[in-house]
Amino acid sequence: MTKNRLFPVLYMFVITLIVSTLIIGFSQYTEERVQANKELTFDTAILKVLPGMYEPGLSSVELHKKLTEQVDKPTTEGGAYTLRKNGEIVAYALPIEGQGFWAKIKAVIGIAADKKTITGFVVYEQTETPGLGAEVAKKEFTGQFENLEISTQGKPITFRRAREELQIGQVHAVTGATQTSTRLEKIINDNLEQWLGRVGN
Amino acid sequence: MNLMPEFSHALVVCISAIFTQNILLSYFLGLCPFIGSSREIKSALGLGAAVIFVMTCTCALNWLVYHKVLVPLHLEFFRFIMFIIVIAAFVQFVEMAIDRLSPSLYQKLGVFLPLITVNCAILGASLFMVIRDYNFISTVGYGLGSGTGWFMAIVVMANIRTRLNNDAIPKGLQGAGITLIIVGIMALAFIGFTGVLAGK
Amino acid sequence: MKRREIKNLVYEGLWKNNPVFVQVLGICSTLAVTNLVLNTIVMCAALVLTLSLSALTVSILREFTPRNIRMMVETLIIAFYVIIIDVLLKAYWPHMSESLGPYVGLIITNCIVMGRCEACAISNPPFKAILDAIFNAFGYSFILLIIATIREVLGMGTFLGFNVPYFSSQYWDKWTIMVMPPSAFFVLAIIIWVFRSIQMSREDKKK
Repeated sequence: MTKNRLFPVLYMFVITLIVSTLIIGFSQYTEERVQANKELTFDTAILKVLPGMYEPGLSSVELHKKLTEQVDKPTTEGGAYTLRKNGEIVAYALPIEGQGFWAKIKAVIGIAADKKTITGFVVYEQTETPGLGAEVAKKEFTGQFENLEISTQGKPITFRRAREELQIGQVHAVTGATQTSTRLEKIINDNLEQWLGRVGN
Repeated sequence: MNLMPEFSHALVVCISAIFTQNILLSYFLGLCPFIGSSREIKSALGLGAAVIFVMTCTCALNWLVYHKVLVPLHLEFFRFIMFIIVIAAFVQFVEMAIDRLSPSLYQKLGVFLPLITVNCAILGASLFMVIRDYNFISTVGYGLGSGTGWFMAIVVMANIRTRLNNDAIPKGLQGAGITLIIVGIMALAFIGFTGVLAGK
Repeated sequence: MKRREIKNLVYEGLWKNNPVFVQVLGICSTLAVTNLVLNTIVMCAALVLTLSLSALTVSILREFTPRNIRMMVETLIIAFYVIIIDVLLKAYWPHMSESLGPYVGLIITNCIVMGRCEACAISNPPFKAILDAIFNAFGYSFILLIIATIREVLGMGTFLGFNVPYFSSQYWDKWTIMVMPPSAFFVLAIIIWVFRSIQMSREDKKK
């Protein structure tokens, strides 16, 4: 049988068929999970930047429920999610994205109702250099944005070198990650300025 | 449709693939054939040229396969297998074509073509093209740039290595060791280009 | 299989014919992630799994596989396991999957996987094939882990994300270059140098 000229073709065909079936079956099985993971990181990011919304230890279902029940989808308000209490807007969560050093950086920025203070900042998708640019997703960096006042003169947010003294609207950049920092600063400011322009001060 | 912005984006992608995000020096792809074939300038030139050609074409082909076949069918996870098949088939095809059309070119490049199928830089370029979501024109630019970047690195390396032939290198460092150190120095120099395309 | 044979396989894979410092094969896809120990561990685990499982499959199928299409069959089998690992990571460890980027997929073209399938699995029984694969993968992994440890400790003052005494303190100026690409080349070169020298001095003694 192995002498048959058709055998290799048939053999290849059978192997490919088996392998493809297995892969398709397997990825169907995990597809929901992959999708849910993506939504979960986004949901978590939105909740984290809104004041008092994020509680650690919640399951993904509970998180999603909390988000759909308490946060309004971005229909008005220039593309930002809104958190209301008794009908009054408490804070906005604005999803932003832009080109990082290697690939896209996606983040969510939380803004208080007066549009003058940042309530939180979370980078939920990035592939910057580990140890350098990737540090922008860490709490040490993003934590600086909590209760940060937006500057009304010049750029809304400015990144300063480490150890330099900070003024209104300024945070310390990650040392050694010049490229990522410049780009992230631009992403934040472009999006923020556009959004402020859309919703009006 | 105004194509100017597309072309200028493709140009930026191409140049950054050569200098700031060199596929060999900052992504370590295609290192095995790089170490193996950088002993002589002649073979480095041949392999490098083959890589430019194959990389540009397979990136474009794989873009079509991915966006026109796999994405509509929701079979994105098949890309690994598809890309490999496309690359292998393309290399085979080119080999046959060159053999028929120009035997003299075949003698120069022919031996390098089979090596390319297992060059991870070729597959890597296609995978990066998907992850970075390039459009078709930028993909061609990226393939061309990555190939050129690899070509440049291997030719420079071959030049340096021929000069090292008579030097007294510690025994344990001969061959792969010293090559890696030189690549490291090259990579260091290429970091200097990083700022050139900032903000793009 | 005799014990001596097994011992020999271990010795060949881990030391005498080590994939990294003797054969210098297959470093491409993994070297890129050696700036963090955790990423390296995951990549090496993925490599151990892919290599041993594909060697096993190739070896089981070896009697039926026609010679002329064996490379294609091998590639297909390797790609199959890599895709499974990639999907698994995406589903159960999305964070890791993202930070490894395309490098998991690039295990397909990792020369060491193909190399072991061609050199051993295609012509040997499953048990020998899988042992050879595992010890080659281990020989490969331990070198990469050394590189990753050096890079992470010197570059970031941490190990697996935890602070290392002294290196994370103010007395140690972090070597930023260690987390950037060029240092991987330097550290690998030095490791090749050291291990080859040890090998050579041992051989000299034997004589």
